[in-house]
Amino acid sequence: MPKLTYTATLENLEPMLDFLEQGAKELGFDARELNRIRLASEEVLVNVINYAYPDKNGSVEIIYDIQDGNRLVVEIIDSGVPFNPLLMPEPDIESPVENRKIGGLGIYLVRSIMDELSYRREAGRNILTLIKYQTTG
Amino acid sequence: MESKFSVTYQEGIASCELCGRLDATNAPAFQEELKKLIGQDVSRLVFYAKDLEYMSSAGLRTIIFAKQKIGAASSVYLIGAQEAVQNVIKMSGLDTFMILQDTYEE
Repeated sequence: MPKLTYTATLENLEPMLDFLEQGAKELGFDARELNRIRLASEEVLVNVINYAYPDKNGSVEIIYDIQDGNRLVVEIIDSGVPFNPLLMPEPDIESPVENRKIGGLGIYLVRSIMDELSYRREAGRNILTLIKYQTTG
Repeated sequence: MESKFSVTYQEGIASCELCGRLDATNAPAFQEELKKLIGQDVSRLVFYAKDLEYMSSAGLRTIIFAKQKIGAASSVYLIGAQEAVQNVIKMSGLDTFMILQDTYEE
């Protein structure tokens, strides 16, 4: 499985996304889906970059795997503060804009784009798994 | 395409030209530009997005910020947005307060 480890900084966001896009391309997603997968990946990686390591630099490990020729499985792993993004409350996207909360939009987009999401905390690490099926053949 | 943003203000209309990508790496700088408009009498916020290829939630937050802090009573326009950008706007419900147009019409 292709795997890379980066220092969790915004400067490294582009190379991280490029790495994941390779995996998505291998599975033959079209340009529109590639763009959406990139967006979902950005959202989870930015969460790690901004919040996982409040007082120090840390790293983020990115793994992808193509399973059964029909789905991209991505794992984003950090050793930062315990944080399960899947517990973020859903934003109310129909509320009047004056009351719109700014938090939670990112993970909402991730949920909309990806097919399956799961989180586990294991040996002091946050492990977020994202799965996207390739359904267009 | 290089990502760049400009904000201009004239007679109640704030115009923002968006090019390239609006994401977590550059949305904060764009928001700083927008902050300069706080206190101006803004009746329209017009985002020109023909050359914008990509927007993440950081960009969405900046638009919500602009509406809330600069032009609470203003009309917000999104002009010429590509499909990918329109989809993100719609997915996150920002189209409930934005006017989407191909070309700017008052």
